[in-house]
Amino acid sequence: MSARGATVARTIATLDIPPRPRWQWKSWCAVGLVVIITAITLSPRWGVDFSLEAIARNWQNGAEKILQLLVPDWSFFPRTVPALLETLQMAVIATAVAAVVSLPLSLATARLTNPNGYSRSLVRALLNVIRSIPDLLYAAILVAMVGVGALPGIIALVLFNVGIIVKMVSESIEANDPGALEAGRAAGGNQVQINRASALPDIMPSFINQTLYVLELNVRASSVLGLVGAGGLGLLIDAVRTFYRYDQLSLIILEILIIVMALDVLSNAVRRRLV
Amino acid sequence: MVVEHTSPTGAASPWSVSMRDVTVRYASGVVALKNVSLDIRPGEMVSVVGLSGSGKSSLIRTINGLVPITSGSLRVGGYHLESARAGELRRLRGEIGMIFQGFNLAKRTSVLNNVLVGRLAHTTTLRTLLGAYRASDREIAFEALDRVGILSKVWDRASSLSGGQQQRVAIARALCQEPRLVLADEPVASLDPPTAHEVMDDLRRINQDLGITVITNLHLIDLARSYGTRIIGLRAGEVVFDGPVESASDSVFAKIYG
Repeated sequence: MSARGATVARTIATLDIPPRPRWQWKSWCAVGLVVIITAITLSPRWGVDFSLEAIARNWQNGAEKILQLLVPDWSFFPRTVPALLETLQMAVIATAVAAVVSLPLSLATARLTNPNGYSRSLVRALLNVIRSIPDLLYAAILVAMVGVGALPGIIALVLFNVGIIVKMVSESIEANDPGALEAGRAAGGNQVQINRASALPDIMPSFINQTLYVLELNVRASSVLGLVGAGGLGLLIDAVRTFYRYDQLSLIILEILIIVMALDVLSNAVRRRLV
Repeated sequence: MVVEHTSPTGAASPWSVSMRDVTVRYASGVVALKNVSLDIRPGEMVSVVGLSGSGKSSLIRTINGLVPITSGSLRVGGYHLESARAGELRRLRGEIGMIFQGFNLAKRTSVLNNVLVGRLAHTTTLRTLLGAYRASDREIAFEALDRVGILSKVWDRASSLSGGQQQRVAIARALCQEPRLVLADEPVASLDPPTAHEVMDDLRRINQDLGITVITNLHLIDLARSYGTRIIGLRAGEVVFDGPVESASDSVFAKIYG
């Protein structure tokens, strides 16, 4: 053993090891930056204004509400059914419309499927604008424009969904192997033909995944949209919240939970068949 | 621009390639080809050999316009590539089959859909979008698959096939174009030796039975010697050998590979 150890020592001494790259200082800078930013946000002078003593002062109010939430008012169920159905309808319609709109836009946003730089930048800029506006704001503006009800909610959801689907699907296009597209080009296809015949089959799973995810988002989001008058369970949530009926609120939350869980099971089943 | 027409039997006359002082310089400044001049006659089976980075891939991709030439003149069939517009390039590519090292199949769709990609140049955009290929095009696809002995896999998903089978599907896709010229870029570099020979046999049959001009990039000397009648040696973007297989001695290969 000792003889072998000596050999190893000798070999290492004679090896021409290149100097280790000096990048460590960069990671220390990054760590330092995170520490400094955290310190600033916590400092009373510049940071977020919060104190833990507020919890100690007010926890009893909260506890009462939590107790109420723990005892759902089951008799409220019949009154939630129409709103629940409206929420589901809004979610399904918005998802379907968004999916149809998103597919060509995704192809137009990815470099591999749209080599034309000008049109690509244009579509990208448009989508950045769409994505930067929050869904609640869309709903508020649309309620003012088209009135209270499901329609402004659906339009708000579509805009919100297109931003998400296009972003995720176009990223998955860029991550795909460009080989099939090269073959389509070599066979004399135009860009639209290449996208349909060579690119689409490989991006379908990612597209369906994002669409299912967005469907789930919509069930949850449509309950928030109702707060500004855009239909669905949200309108009901707003109503019971105003009367401090936390027992009724908890029933609504429970219903949303069950739908979201059901959608999760459904989308997992679909996904398993895809892969 | 097109000078020849497909004969009623479906057998198209093969194309020649004529390069005069072709130089390819990429945007990065790399010069891939330097003043290359070549004449490939209709129906020839040519192997292009050289190290990686010698310009083989660029050479083969200039012929179907995937890589534009910087200077010189290039005539393929009736087309002049130095001045061809986008639509002309697509028609030219429609007549040239191409086979790749990585097979380049759309992995998540059926073998048939992959082979039908070979009909894109003869299919309208609307038909492609709807996936409504003509019955005659499907027939051509079935025949192409039968020719490479893989018709039984027609409904299988491309990703479920082995490497050798995937390359066969790629060859069927090229045949489906009813090509006048077939380009193969390192077609067997990702395959094990027995499969490599089977695929090279397929390419030879395309050349001998159908009379189609075949140009193949290879980096293995043995394969270049066993398949094809003519060898072109590339080194650092220049042609350092061009002659029949018989005259490509060991010293010639030593020169090509440096």
